[in-house]
Amino acid sequence: MNSNSEPTAYNNRLGLKGWIYAGKYTFERYLYLGHRLSGMGLIAYMVLHIIETANRMRGVEAWEGLMALFASWPFKIIEYLLFAAAVFHALNGVRLLLTELGFFLGRPKEPVYPYSSSIKRHRPLTYIVMTLAGLIIILGGSSLFFP
Amino acid sequence: MRETRLWSLHLLVIPIIAVLLGLHFAVMHYAPVFYGVSVEEARNFETMIERGRSVAQLVLYILLLAAGLYHGLYGLRGILRELPLTPALAKFVDGGILLFGLFIFALGAYVTWWTFSYKIGG
Ligand code: HEM
Ligand code: HEM
Ligand code: HEM
Repeated sequence: MNSNSEPTAYNNRLGLKGWIYAGKYTFERYLYLGHRLSGMGLIAYMVLHIIETANRMRGVEAWEGLMALFASWPFKIIEYLLFAAAVFHALNGVRLLLTELGFFLGRPKEPVYPYSSSIKRHRPLTYIVMTLAGLIIILGGSSLFFP
Repeated sequence: MRETRLWSLHLLVIPIIAVLLGLHFAVMHYAPVFYGVSVEEARNFETMIERGRSVAQLVLYILLLAAGLYHGLYGLRGILRELPLTPALAKFVDGGILLFGLFIFALGAYVTWWTFSYKIGG
């Protein structure tokens, strides 16, 4: 790691492919991909959203026309995808925060067979958090499909 | 040290986003539960202006703008900086994202202020 603020050209040999393909996958590796995709989706949405809601300055008609458009089916589906991305990103984000602060990784110990890696010790948290995300996404979505 | 601070801020704004986005969601989607108005009414021009004229909303939206944009754009910067960039390109990414963020923030803040100072009927 270089500690000064000079921009660095990392030797990211795999480039874009390295995001998707990482040899031996673990569940967490997929979550990383999901976190990255949902994060990019959310920031793209947020920027468009700020530009879009600025339309209120063009007056009542412009605004209500836009809102009528968003009430249509395609937009409801987009909204649902947005919601799913936000829930996934937020809950996986909580997992990342806990990990980065050093929780749920267990104590370091001698590598005696059968090995128990910090990833394995962390796995239950992963399952709990993802089950929660799944439940919220499905229950939240039920209002879309069964109004 | 500078990178450490930028990254810490990326994490520190998360609680702000969680609370304010939760509120935003409550206003927009659970309006019938929290405010006793229908979802359609909540998105009405008048209702929006009415909401937007409170000081609380002015402050909270600007906070959400700042926190959300910082967190999201810092994340995007990190993603772009993982690509094999030359130092010059990396600097360009940093500067471009900073300018873009400031521009979008200014637009959002201006719109929030516009709503706050809107004169009904005038
Ligand atoms: C729980 C996850 C979500 C689901 C399943 C969902 C689904 C829906 C559905 C089914 C409608 C149509 C409701 C109706 O016509 O009465 C709707 C409308 C709406 N939603 Fe959501 N949505 C979700 C998240 C969000 C979020 C996060 C926001 C805002 C931050 C939001 C804001 C709105 C607004 C403003 C409308 C009004 C649309 C209209 O006027 O028809 N929703 N949503
Ligand atoms: C409660 C809500 C949220 C939580 C808990 C959360 C949490 C996190 C965490 C922990 C990270 C990884 C930080 C790191 O390891 O350095 C992250 C990255 C990121 N977040 Fe969020 N976030 C939230 C909302 C948002 C929103 C609203 C946006 C978009 C405006 C966003 C965009 C991003 C992006 C683009 C990244 C970078 C992803 C990557 O590097 O692969 N997040 N988030
Ligand atoms: C389907 C989901 C969403 C809907 C229907 C929705 C709806 C709205 C509406 C109607 C406004 C205008 C202000 C008002 O009426 O009070 C607004 C403003 C805003 N929203 Fe959302 N929103 C959604 C999701 C989000 C998300 C995910 C974010 C953040 C990542 C966000 C951030 C903001 C911000 C910062 C403003 C203020 C913009 C400004 O002042 O220029 N919204 N939203």
